[in-house]
Amino acid sequence: MAALLEVQNLVKTFGTVRAVDSASLVVEPNTITALIGPNGSGKTTLFNLITGYLPPDSGRVSFRGRDITGSDAGSLYRRGLSRTFQQARVFPALTVQENLTVAAGYSWGQLFGRRLSRSDRERVGELLEEFRLGHVADLFASELSYGQRKLLEFAAVLMSSPSLIMLDEPTAGVNPVMIETMEHHIRQRHAAGITFLIVEHDMTFVMRLCNPVIVLDQGREIFAGAPAEVQNNPLVLDAYLGS
Amino acid sequence: MSSRRYAGPLRGVVFFALLASLPSFNLAHWVLNILVFTLMYAVMSSSWNLVGGFAGYPSLGHAAFFGIGAYAMALWFQHHAIHSGYEPFLLLPLVGLLAAAIGLPVAVIAMRTRSDVFAIVTITLLFVTQTLAFNLRGLTNGAQGLSIAAPPFSAGTFERPFYYTLIVLLALAMGITFGVMRSKLGLSLAAVRADEDKARGIGVRVLGVKLLSFSVSVGLTAMVGGIWAYYEGFIYPQFAVDPLVTIAIVLMTFLGGRATLWGPVLGAFILETGQQTLAYSLGGSQFYLIAYAMVFLLVMLLMPRGIVPSIQDRLRQRRRRIEVDAGAPRPSSPRMTRSSDTRSSVPALKGHG
Repeated sequence: MAALLEVQNLVKTFGTVRAVDSASLVVEPNTITALIGPNGSGKTTLFNLITGYLPPDSGRVSFRGRDITGSDAGSLYRRGLSRTFQQARVFPALTVQENLTVAAGYSWGQLFGRRLSRSDRERVGELLEEFRLGHVADLFASELSYGQRKLLEFAAVLMSSPSLIMLDEPTAGVNPVMIETMEHHIRQRHAAGITFLIVEHDMTFVMRLCNPVIVLDQGREIFAGAPAEVQNNPLVLDAYLGS
Repeated sequence: MSSRRYAGPLRGVVFFALLASLPSFNLAHWVLNILVFTLMYAVMSSSWNLVGGFAGYPSLGHAAFFGIGAYAMALWFQHHAIHSGYEPFLLLPLVGLLAAAIGLPVAVIAMRTRSDVFAIVTITLLFVTQTLAFNLRGLTNGAQGLSIAAPPFSAGTFERPFYYTLIVLLALAMGITFGVMRSKLGLSLAAVRADEDKARGIGVRVLGVKLLSFSVSVGLTAMVGGIWAYYEGFIYPQFAVDPLVTIAIVLMTFLGGRATLWGPVLGAFILETGQQTLAYSLGGSQFYLIAYAMVFLLVMLLMPRGIVPSIQDRLRQRRRRIEVDAGAPRPSSPRMTRSSDTRSSVPALKGHG
């Protein structure tokens, strides 16, 4: 089966720093792939390059067999490639329901329809039930806990029926119970056929959830394989601990 | 619930009925004159609110489009005879469309920048437009200005056609605002205002809604400029493209409350009537400007987000306290709870459909 996402020789420099240095990686369909690496290894920059937030200097990204290098973030989202951010970016002045509704990728004509139509409420209601956020449906996102905001951001990108979701540190800064909740939802959606690419620093989380694991160091892939092998790989140990 | 449901439309009907009936009270000309200017500013603040409030793009260039509207009107009647006093009013939609068309490419360029940079880019546009009005003498007659034939309305009811036209325009501006708030367009604009990059990444039509709101906003502003030119009968570059106009409409919107339906209108009624009244009562000196500034400072100190949002917050908190006191569980069924509009507009606007 062809790769869902394929990155070839992607390069991005900021001044003299090569943040992403000829990186290549592959995400196979129906996997939960982890992307790990020491701080500053270029994980988030790579995310930004893939999802259209930054234009790459050179290289190629293809998604579902099509070249998407330099595509606009919004059109990628509509084509099924969505992402979340490290800092849980939700819209604080919108309610939880509205945060979900606005993420549905509406066409031009729908812009003039009701702010929250009946079908929106039904669709949003199902998601809220799945994520157990029903009791806060009408609160502003600013009134949620940080963990709830992370859940909300995750739930929101599901509104577009994505085939690949890229999560940037889904467990950073949230409590252990919320980490389990997050894991539960990822597994559930994975079982329903969604592929994940996850940047994460929590290694126990990565080891029990992800396969394969890709290790990035100094802007390029140095390892890709099963989680058990990662821990024994000399290159990876060097990258994390210094040689 | 049901009493609140009709309060919004009712408020609108009462407000406009009151406005429309005012001239029949035999008000003095100077009072009507103040009302005409207040309505002009109410329309312009409401229009500015579409861009500066809902989209979060603080344009300081709107006076340029006011001037474009004024000159479009004056220039048309340099070359065409006025057959009836009402003809210029019929021309207004064309003036609006022209300004909206000019606004589109301007927005494409200016809206690549944000917040403070956007403000500077748009105020530059204002000064460029003013310089053009001064120097394109062949077209604008430069500093000597342009005149429009005086309207053939009887002296006793001279203001009325302008007044009623402005009421229609205010209803249009507020109707558009209401529609924006109730539609996904408003939801998209709120997302753009809060976090534009995130909004783009979740498929919001960022560029489209920005351009649309800017175009509609400057189109409405230009229509006011057209009415103003006809009302004054004579236009000069320094008054037709006046930074003070920009500043006034921004202040009014901030005072009443950005991204609300009634805020800009309220701001215009407070500041414009206040300013004119103070100017009358304090005479020709500039003391009225100090009094005007005092009013503004006080409100900003006490209600930094503007009058309408501050009141809404207070009402919201009180409702919550009542809910908690009554031991009522927080509403969880989506269908019976306060809708989004409650927060972004006057509470009573919710759901009439």
